[in-house]
Amino acid sequence: MIEFHNVFFSYQPGKDILKNINLKINKGELLAIIGPNGAGKTTLIKHINGLLKPQKGYVKVLDMNTKETTVALLARHVGFVFQNPDHQLFAETVEKEIMFALINFNFPENEIKERVERILHELDLIKYRNKSPFMLSGGERKRVALASVLCYDPSILILDEPTIGQDFHQKLNLIDLINKLNKEGKTVIIVTHDIEFVADFIPKCIIMSEGRIIADGPTEEILTDSKLLLENYLLPPQLVEISIALNINPPTINFEKLVSFIRKIIERKE
Amino acid sequence: MNIFDFEYKRESSIIHRLDPRAKLVYLILFTILTVYFTNPIILFLVFLSSLPIAILGKIVKKWATSIKGSLFFIVFIFIFNFIGIFWTTGNFIDTITISIAMAIRFISLISIFSIFFLSTSPEDLMQSMIKLKLPYEYVLTFNMAMRFVPTLAKEAQTIIDAQKSRGLEFEKGNIFQKVKKYIPILIPLIISSLRRAEIIADAMESRAFGASKTRSFLYTLNMNKKDFIFIIICIIVFITFLSLKIFFNIQ
Repeated sequence: MIEFHNVFFSYQPGKDILKNINLKINKGELLAIIGPNGAGKTTLIKHINGLLKPQKGYVKVLDMNTKETTVALLARHVGFVFQNPDHQLFAETVEKEIMFALINFNFPENEIKERVERILHELDLIKYRNKSPFMLSGGERKRVALASVLCYDPSILILDEPTIGQDFHQKLNLIDLINKLNKEGKTVIIVTHDIEFVADFIPKCIIMSEGRIIADGPTEEILTDSKLLLENYLLPPQLVEISIALNINPPTINFEKLVSFIRKIIERKE
Repeated sequence: MNIFDFEYKRESSIIHRLDPRAKLVYLILFTILTVYFTNPIILFLVFLSSLPIAILGKIVKKWATSIKGSLFFIVFIFIFNFIGIFWTTGNFIDTITISIAMAIRFISLISIFSIFFLSTSPEDLMQSMIKLKLPYEYVLTFNMAMRFVPTLAKEAQTIIDAQKSRGLEFEKGNIFQKVKKYIPILIPLIISSLRRAEIIADAMESRAFGASKTRSFLYTLNMNKKDFIFIIICIIVFITFLSLKIFFNIQ
């Protein structure tokens, strides 16, 4: 569904930000991209909706070569929610903000109304529909930005740092929504620094460092490899650190598993 | 075109090392020349006279970028002057001459100002303004505004990317529709600038900005021989140009 083939990219000549990226993401996958600052994560995801075009190699999304396709055409299939909602909110009301993309994509009028209504309910924004997006709190603005992309129902969803500035309750709401969208068959890609969030909720992950993909596989394998994580300036999840401290082999990111291990240790002592 | 090319980069050419006040003299004198003359040949000479400074300052590449960047406006200025003047005078030769002069005047101004800003560090600029007895608060405001131009350019790019990701197409539509398409770019840009300004003000106050009436400075400026030589050269060139008006009556 998404395919990177020997992709190179640089903003300045001689300083490659992406170095020979090869990557396949299948339909319906839910995955996280993690890695230190400056690893090239945002540059990578901007290739998926064609905001950036590879300088060498190619990127194919739904069998379209991004080099030969406009951002607008790709955007119809690839929803991209930026990190900072203030970089996209501009309309007088939340409702109009959500309509923006629908109008750009030429949806018929009755369908626009219907979709706006649905997404306002879904993201619990109905009471703000006639308010200015600038009057809302940070977390609410983030939800409006998300709604303004989800409304046109893209089959691929990219979220750049969705958990920043969100309290625990909002994070749980977010993961519920992500899971729901994923169950509907959408491919969801999340770029984040929030390792605990990935460990708890995201089944697959990719580690990037210095423009390369270092690891790609099930979260359970990757996030329990503390050597790999530390080499790439990532802190292992707390459960993994506890597992290592207690000599549990292999370490685990599963809370229940860890608890039963600890129980066994305690029982042995008694 | 790369918008980040206008950023000042620390280099150590002879022009960079000049006292900013000396360069300010250059800026003022040559701006007067470009505004004073209307003869396209003279204006072109004024424009050419900035080239050696760009070469000495090793900033030719960036200087050329800013000239290239302004080409659109130059064409715009030419066309509007042409239409406006031809409408009122109906004289074709005069119209062409004045329109060309206006376009060259604009290039010269761009050239002079970009040389000044490309070769003067923001700190130097600030220091020279303080030496010229401008109030510190205004100097700082000006300096910060300059400092945030590249940040703003970067942010504008992010906003453009975000709106393109929501299906905004700049290429489509007639001129009015195109202008309308800048609203989703400008509003977030203004709002986030205001938000940032507020944060900076808070950060400055929490670091005791304005706590005492007098303040000390880390760097101070001193004029020396090379600065005076540069100023004298500028004055000589300035007078030479002016004498064209006196002796040959070229406007």
